[in-house]
Amino acid sequence: MNIGIAGAGLIGRLLAWQCLRAGHSVSLFDRDTIDGEGSAARVAAAMLAPYSEAAHCPREIFDWGVASMALWPRLIRQLHQDTGINVQLEQNGSVVVAHIRDTGELDNLMQLLGTKLPEHQAQITLLDQPALASLEPSLAGRFEQGIFLSGEGCLDNWALLDALADAIDSLGGEWHAAVSVDNVQPGQLDVEGQPISFDCVIDSRGLGAKPNQPGLRGVRGEVLWVHAPEVSLTRPVRLMHPRYQLYIAPKPQQRYVIGATEIESESMQPITVRSSLELQSALYSIDTDFAEASILKAYANCRPAYVDNLPRIDVEEGLISVNGLYRHGYLLSPLLLQLALDSLDGQVEHPVVRQQSSMQEGIAR
Amino acid sequence: MDNRWSVYGKTFESRFLIGSSLYPSPQVMRDAVQASGAEIITVSLRRQSPERGGGDTIWDFIKQMDCTLLPNTAGCHSVKEALTLAQMSREIFQTHWIKLEVIGDEYNLQPDPIGTLEAARQLIKQGFEVFPYCTDDLVLCQRLRDAGCQVLMPWGAPIGTGRGLINPYALQTIRERLPDVSLIVDAGLGKPSHAVQAMELGFDAVLLNTAVAQAADPVLMATAFAEAISAGRKSFLAGAMPQRQTAKPSTPTLGTPFWHQEGVDAS
Repeated sequence: MNIGIAGAGLIGRLLAWQCLRAGHSVSLFDRDTIDGEGSAARVAAAMLAPYSEAAHCPREIFDWGVASMALWPRLIRQLHQDTGINVQLEQNGSVVVAHIRDTGELDNLMQLLGTKLPEHQAQITLLDQPALASLEPSLAGRFEQGIFLSGEGCLDNWALLDALADAIDSLGGEWHAAVSVDNVQPGQLDVEGQPISFDCVIDSRGLGAKPNQPGLRGVRGEVLWVHAPEVSLTRPVRLMHPRYQLYIAPKPQQRYVIGATEIESESMQPITVRSSLELQSALYSIDTDFAEASILKAYANCRPAYVDNLPRIDVEEGLISVNGLYRHGYLLSPLLLQLALDSLDGQVEHPVVRQQSSMQEGIAR
Repeated sequence: MDNRWSVYGKTFESRFLIGSSLYPSPQVMRDAVQASGAEIITVSLRRQSPERGGGDTIWDFIKQMDCTLLPNTAGCHSVKEALTLAQMSREIFQTHWIKLEVIGDEYNLQPDPIGTLEAARQLIKQGFEVFPYCTDDLVLCQRLRDAGCQVLMPWGAPIGTGRGLINPYALQTIRERLPDVSLIVDAGLGKPSHAVQAMELGFDAVLLNTAVAQAADPVLMATAFAEAISAGRKSFLAGAMPQRQTAKPSTPTLGTPFWHQEGVDAS
């Protein structure tokens, strides 16, 4: 099949790569450059955190997230076969902490997870100071307790995005960077004013698909990437606070991401001073060794979300749209990738997937 | 029973004002607001880059819910910030109503009484109808009323703490001393029982957000609060019996042998 993909963020790249692997011919179009600097996928901290997300997200995110996370190792192995690049995937759990004045937030989280995930309590452990010290020694000086979520992790998304670009190139994908896709319709992409026909078109433009996806909105997030050679955190750390939850995700080469703010706004302006102060003070409060870290990047971008904050695959003859991954892109993308690939081959039964007929019924209701 | 109440010339059935932040999704927010029966919903512009239309999608969604909007100045730490945000809100939401918050302490978000009073005076001069979020200090409440506020919103406890009414005495005093001002308990409620208590003190309404938005089931919790607020109001109107130190049987004990009357249960 001759497939045209609009949008080369995380989902666009994954789909292009897997379609090539399946023997299809693929053209990928994106307004961004190949490094993906303007993509929400580049900005993300790439947390794989179904448990802590379950506290304030619909239950589906947890169920789909756990199923999806299990698909990452095979994808990472395939990517290694295709490119020789070993993308770091950590699945050693994460740690949640709160400062002494906010320890009530830890109790709240334990209580919420107890209510929402009663059958998964084995993966949720309250840590006293010695237990915390044995997991993450640098946290123990500052925090007296924490929560260990053994089923969580994170991955090195910069390396992943680069490796996917390599894989697409080496498998013969055609990448049209820095072009604008004006319209997407079944079997056709309008690129820079020129209609191009395909057997099937995939729309994975994220917020860029808003003209075709009423109800899609952007939720602004801001993150900092820092280089902190003096810091020795090995797992993602989530800092609970009465008003915001921030996480620090360790990346290779002593880099850490701190994020992300969550603002109901579609502003793409650079990070604000207020957000930057909040993120930096959170870093410093977790470990004072962050004081000497270099700030590599300060990003602001918008996550694409539907009104229920759940992802969706819309399927009709000649067009598959994958969107609304919100703050769960890296968690959910393997599952959505699988469902989208299956949808290319035939009808798929899954709550995420809406066939055109059921979409029309939805409108009629 | 006519249970309507009025504020700045508008009349409402529901005594539940609800916030629009912190829900798991906009969909859940809409469902919770519907379940709450609230007719007034607070909205916040802060941090959304309103001057660039950053929040248009979510505001359009909120506007479709057909509630009266009460924009707030949440997150403002100075009079100047609050005034600027109030003016921006008036432009975007086309309303003179403003919930005034001037924060004095970053950590527990305690309102700054002096800044709040000054901002209220200036906003009223500019034609706003001000809903000041304030502490439960009687004299501050009197000054805000003298400045022209027809409604006052003392806290139950600091925002988001869910501690309930930490000083019922102060709230009761405000109610007794300012009988003609609309009073709304704003912030600090965690459970429906707290809302019952506020309404039983004779408050006109209750405003809350976190207790619903962050509940394990926000829609169900919105229903629970709606019922509690209604129960509390009815209890206030019905006039609760006074508390007594000793049990007093509701069944006459005439005819009961005197040695059985000692320690009899109220039944």
